[in-house]
Amino acid sequence: MSILLSEWTKLRSVRTMWILVLSTIASSMALGLLGVSDVLTSADTVLPANWDPTATALKGFLFAQLIIGMMGALSVTGEFETGTIASSLIAVPSRFHFFGAKVAVLSALALVTACVTTLLSFLLVQATLANAAIPTAALSDTKVQMALGGAVLYLVLVALIGVAVGVLTRSATMSMSVLVAALLLIPAVGPGLPAALGQWFAMFWPITAGQSAYSVVPGEGNIDPFLGLALLAATAIGLCVTAYGALHYRDI
Amino acid sequence: MQSAISGRDAGRPRGICATGLTKRYGNRIVVDDLTFSASAGVVTGFLGPNGAGKSTTLRMILGLAKPTAGTVTINGQHIADIADAAQAVGALLDAGAVHPQRSAFDHLLAFAQAAGLGRRRVEEVLELTGLSRAAARPTGEFSLGMKQRLGIATALLGDPQALILDEPLNGLDPEGIRWMRTLMRDLASEGRTVLFSSHLMSEMELTADDLIVIGEGRLIAESPLEQFIRFNTTQVVRVRTAHLAELAVALGRAGVNFTHGPDSLLLTETSDASMVGRIAAAEGIALDELTSIRESLEDVFLRLTHHATGHRA
Repeated sequence: MSILLSEWTKLRSVRTMWILVLSTIASSMALGLLGVSDVLTSADTVLPANWDPTATALKGFLFAQLIIGMMGALSVTGEFETGTIASSLIAVPSRFHFFGAKVAVLSALALVTACVTTLLSFLLVQATLANAAIPTAALSDTKVQMALGGAVLYLVLVALIGVAVGVLTRSATMSMSVLVAALLLIPAVGPGLPAALGQWFAMFWPITAGQSAYSVVPGEGNIDPFLGLALLAATAIGLCVTAYGALHYRDI
Repeated sequence: MQSAISGRDAGRPRGICATGLTKRYGNRIVVDDLTFSASAGVVTGFLGPNGAGKSTTLRMILGLAKPTAGTVTINGQHIADIADAAQAVGALLDAGAVHPQRSAFDHLLAFAQAAGLGRRRVEEVLELTGLSRAAARPTGEFSLGMKQRLGIATALLGDPQALILDEPLNGLDPEGIRWMRTLMRDLASEGRTVLFSSHLMSEMELTADDLIVIGEGRLIAESPLEQFIRFNTTQVVRVRTAHLAELAVALGRAGVNFTHGPDSLLLTETSDASMVGRIAAAEGIALDELTSIRESLEDVFLRLTHHATGHRA
């Protein structure tokens, strides 16, 4: 319990963390709004057949996920880069407890951040769409609720991947490179690869698969939302176990 | 400082004890079969030139680096097996190891909480290290001296039985050095084990009771400082007078060996200057100078480590 308190003190006492929390929320809302601007401007826009106002509202995740991932990474790279990791592990010699507490506290902060981000982005975009008399999604809809829950989990899992990447690279800039590649570049470039390989990336790259969790109307060639989320969760857990192994065996 | 050392861990060996401690990175041996101990109640100086393996050794004691071979214990236990690590050992490894955005108070609070301690203890160590007024400031604004004090405050949080300090005097101004010295002496006199490293012999002379000297990862010497000085330094007596010839005859009669300097006599086989004074007085010879010269510890250290490391320069 006391280790959790300690980790919370470390997180809350660094200004950068709060900037990242606010940036996650703000960037998701702003980009979500930008995402629907094209359907708003022309009055006679024909909506696509699989119009999904829920998934559309969360288009800002494209950028917000990178920030929440960096939040996870910075919570550990800060310790490695400043050297406070030594004091931390002298106070808590068990690296299992240390890592467990870090993961738990960061997940909690990421969960709150993800809930606020998801809900505010959804509500803002639905209100904007309603204003333009475009079909919206309702919070009372069970399918919408599930999609929003999936969206929250998606962001938390990305934050956890960030923690694992932070432990493995022990560097903020390295973590940034890895996250940009995993979250943005590969999902964009992978599907363009030839034949089966491209198809695999389009469906099964854990990030792409995880994103299916927050669509209400299944897109073409999308993986099942639950399967997608499970794939992302398995990836995050696998990376965290690997990160713990590295933390356990490496010298500080 | 309140301290409950005496009743604690009764019956367990107190102090730090390394046996055959070895650390190898690939083919490079950084610490080579090091066996030493640092006792409770005294300040032990851990001396070696840069790159001798001091920091690696301290990291192994603290469980931050794993020994390739050998063991090291604090109060008879490996650090991983100690139930309340913060109460057993505190350390200052790198004063710069602070998050620049975090206030000194929050920095200390985080480690206090990890050890199951609260705000009260944080305020106590801030008071003890004279940082109370700077507590709310981000550590990024701290001078090296203040960071060093903050590092000491962190080390003292758990009121630990053993303290491990890596180059604690490095970069401090004279006032800071005196503060740190007094603190180390006080902590040892309370029955704690204090092990501090340095690459400067001069830092040992006024602070350490016991001395451990390493070079190239190997043990060169381990003894009380006093004994180290006695065994390793040579002393000569230099005497000058207008009547060198008469004094030489008198010394010869007394059976004292000496050599001739340009305008003086040097006695290399005795450090007893007063004896020379008595002989001169008996002969009625006025002396212009009578000095006992000791080889400096810095010279001894350089000679010893140079011998161990070979000709590297």
